[in-house]
Amino acid sequence: MELTRRHILKLTGLGLAGPALLSACSNDSSSGGGSGDGSVKFEGWDYEAALVQQNLDRFTKTSNVKVNYTPITSAQYVQKVVAEFTGGGGPDALYVYDDSLAAWVEGDYLQPLDGMAGVDEVYDAIYPGNAQAMTYDGKRYGLPYYTDATCLTYNAGILAQAGISKPPASLEELEAQALKIKNAGLLEYPIGLPAQLSDTWWSWVWALLFGSGGNMFDDQQNPIMNTSDTVTKDVFAWLQQAATKSKVIDPASLQLLPVPVDNAMKANRYAYTIGARYASRDYNDPAKSKAAGKIRMGLVPSLDGKEHGTVSNTRMYGLAKDTEVKDNAFKLLTYLGGYDDQKQPYTAKFWFLQRGLGFAYKAMVNDPTITAALKKFADPKIYTHLAEIAKPRNVLGVPWYTEFETEMHKVVQGVLSNQTQPSAAVAALAQSAVTLKKKYS
Amino acid sequence: MAVLKGSAERRPLGDNAKAWALNAPAIAVIALLVAYPIGYSFYVSLQKNNLKRPRAKRFIGFDNYKALLSDQAFLSALKVSALFVLVVLGLTVVLALILALVLNERFRGRGLLLSLALLPWAMPGVVNGLMWRTIFDAKTGALNGLLQQLGLIDSYHAWLTSGSGAFLFTALAQVWNTLPFSVIILLAGLSTIPSELYDAATVDRAGAWRRFTEVTVPWLLHPLLIVLILETMNAFRAFDTIYVLTGGGPGDATTTIALLDVQTVLTFTDFGLGSAYAWVITAITLLISVGYIGLLYRKGNFEV
Repeated sequence: MELTRRHILKLTGLGLAGPALLSACSNDSSSGGGSGDGSVKFEGWDYEAALVQQNLDRFTKTSNVKVNYTPITSAQYVQKVVAEFTGGGGPDALYVYDDSLAAWVEGDYLQPLDGMAGVDEVYDAIYPGNAQAMTYDGKRYGLPYYTDATCLTYNAGILAQAGISKPPASLEELEAQALKIKNAGLLEYPIGLPAQLSDTWWSWVWALLFGSGGNMFDDQQNPIMNTSDTVTKDVFAWLQQAATKSKVIDPASLQLLPVPVDNAMKANRYAYTIGARYASRDYNDPAKSKAAGKIRMGLVPSLDGKEHGTVSNTRMYGLAKDTEVKDNAFKLLTYLGGYDDQKQPYTAKFWFLQRGLGFAYKAMVNDPTITAALKKFADPKIYTHLAEIAKPRNVLGVPWYTEFETEMHKVVQGVLSNQTQPSAAVAALAQSAVTLKKKYS
Repeated sequence: MAVLKGSAERRPLGDNAKAWALNAPAIAVIALLVAYPIGYSFYVSLQKNNLKRPRAKRFIGFDNYKALLSDQAFLSALKVSALFVLVVLGLTVVLALILALVLNERFRGRGLLLSLALLPWAMPGVVNGLMWRTIFDAKTGALNGLLQQLGLIDSYHAWLTSGSGAFLFTALAQVWNTLPFSVIILLAGLSTIPSELYDAATVDRAGAWRRFTEVTVPWLLHPLLIVLILETMNAFRAFDTIYVLTGGGPGDATTTIALLDVQTVLTFTDFGLGSAYAWVITAITLLISVGYIGLLYRKGNFEV
């Protein structure tokens, strides 16, 4: 067949029509509410997606509002949401990490909830630390999904075998107890920490700092770890001593993410770790753990043995700035993070009872159903006390927080592997904070 | 009628026009999917462009590139990458040459050995990383088990927790993954060497070493050039194996420039700086490739 201009034009026309046809066949997932039936496009990381869907079905049944829920892989949640909002196809309502809030507000992804029905009531009923974590620049951006405080988790069975009757109050005591366990031949490395580089925050480092009354930043987010606050350096010195001299911290910690540490705790392979309270639910579940019934929660040991505090995190539900179904999306937000018609935080209770996720509502601890469930894996008094003394990181509001956290992981790895001395470590962190602050100014 | 007649007599396209017409779709696709993103990434590298601060987005010329000169993370990653390339390339070339020479001989089981040698190449980088991670595991790793059974170590070690250990084991995992490709290239090169040359060298009483240096090596210079260029690029861009195995740690002992680039773009959402990193990687690999070509291309004897 001879090719003529006519043939070529025909083929070109077909070529141009192809993508248009494909596009027409695709599922339009442009910014929420695009379907026109008032349905809400809702996104979250993929934790217990089936349970989330179950809860959303209940909402649809009671409210008549349809929800299109998309779970996204946790490891890529932040990146995917950022990509969606940048491309103009973000959700109407979504999960928000406390350490993403500032950046997402600055990026014009979220809208404040101030003045909306029931928001003040929720903020009055939750722990101040959670309210603080959901507030940016004086405005409220979230309703609470779950929260947790970091604690010392220990295996009372192993401690008892070594003749130890109570958990350590100071870091010195923690090291001494761990040495006792080690010398008794019970465990080669009694302390395990998740210290592999990752994109998630290392709560245990912040818990150790807050547990000793220290901080890395002042209220204006200026670094103080190298100047007025010596706690960071002293905690690093203790970590290095425990990892490389007394060798009670497992060197393999540098290769461990949280799940392997959880597995080791459940297999009686560590006596101590520092992590989220809710992990104790699994640790004490006989179906999942050989250590069930022996795992206890304690306050984070401090440098001076006194009680100072711990760190908390907050996961929240946020409302997209450009949503076209604001009323329905806010209804969903209220169902998930606020009170129901009976003035009960239904979803917060649902998650605690189903999976032990921490709650932001102070009054929930007095609920007999909650207390009964809590007693199965923790001492309610310690659990509640940890929530009361926990506070969020005061550096969450800066756009460079993620970069700083990543740098901190590297520095702490250097301390644990004896490549970096504590004084050099705090100097490097301070320098890093100054550089980042300048970069983002 | 006149119109129809004119249409029927329309001249067909010439060869040149036909060639352009037939290649046009491919050119358009390449331009759209390859050239445009490459050009756009360069444009982005000239911007202050962090998705976390969309309102601060602006054109800043070559400031991102200038900033690299004092960027400690970048300089450290560049140093790690350079060392990584040297170690991986050195090991790959030596091992690939040995394997290719062995596989070029005829012996029983050669086919099986050839298939086994090619197996790692079929493995995706992430799977390769996961496999080596399991092997190097501090608690249950096969390496620890083997060494303990051989009586070489008393207790299990956490191999990836020291800077030098992590670097070396990561390089080994990378070599294992990319070695087969180099073996294939060199094996193909070896098969083109005329046997008469070896016969003549043997008649001239050349020993095995002289036959290797005087016949084999000159004939392998071009395949070697390909291996050097591609493996340098591979090692410079190495990401998945390192990411899975160490995440760049401990500290920044295995943070290569590719790892830093992915982290800058995807975790920190700094597309401007991340694109500048990517262009620096491209420029470096291009320079090295040109250097290889200058050194090796005109050398070697291809006359039979």
